[in-house]
Amino acid sequence: MSHSPDIYQRIVAAKLYIDNNFTENIDLEQISRQAYLSRFHFHRLFRRIYKKTPHQYLTSKRMERARTLLTANDLTISEVSAELGFESPATFSNLFRKQSGMAPQNYRSASLQLMEDIKTQPKRFIPHCFINQYQLEA
Amino acid sequence: MITRLSHTTLFVSDQEKAYDFYVNKLGFKVHTDAKMENGSRWLTVAAPEQPDLEIVLMPLNGMMKLDDESQKALQILLEKGVMGAGVLTTPDCRATYEELKSKGVVFRSEPKEQFYGIEALITDGCGNWFSMTQPL
Repeated sequence: MSHSPDIYQRIVAAKLYIDNNFTENIDLEQISRQAYLSRFHFHRLFRRIYKKTPHQYLTSKRMERARTLLTANDLTISEVSAELGFESPATFSNLFRKQSGMAPQNYRSASLQLMEDIKTQPKRFIPHCFINQYQLEA
Repeated sequence: MITRLSHTTLFVSDQEKAYDFYVNKLGFKVHTDAKMENGSRWLTVAAPEQPDLEIVLMPLNGMMKLDDESQKALQILLEKGVMGAGVLTTPDCRATYEELKSKGVVFRSEPKEQFYGIEALITDGCGNWFSMTQPL
């Protein structure tokens, strides 16, 4: 089912609002206001277009950012949690574990190890045929 | 028996520009970003819901060694923008079109209804074009 260009632009504006403000404590009311639609109407259209509720999308953006923060700097788990607007580190950790399949600290350790391996032994991560065919190490 | 495709290569005219397009605009994830001994960069990205298919963003200059004739031929094809690289799937073509347009992505055609879904043609600014399709 397609909608008018105006509706698409409004829903996209709200999605971009989430993309740009997901680290703030935003809620459905504020998000739906970006689309000039009622909460109910907005929720229904957003879900129809993106196959996720606005809340599910917001959570996915926060988890994505969490993964970046956990590997990119020395913030503690509590600081990452606060940075992403969670009420408590426990809430954040539980959600992260549910979404990523591992605790934030374990994710950080595994990712940092992977990054170190890529840095020190890059050829382990490149199919040998590419190295040969294109002489990548020359 | 072959079961899966794990890597595919996109030749790109500019690797930095390609990073910006695929990661910052399309929202692809960086899979591997490695500096090689010769200073070049092995960069692969993956679509958000397809993390195990690595797309190698292979610049023409400074990384791979090709004979001059092949290099020039590829360069000409990229400059002409004739490298049709595949089909990108989206849950909603029109919404994604509006979003990417607002981010400065150049389209060859607006969303149109086809017998297999709604399709727009998108360019990566690095010599490649894709169908962006919302399947029926």
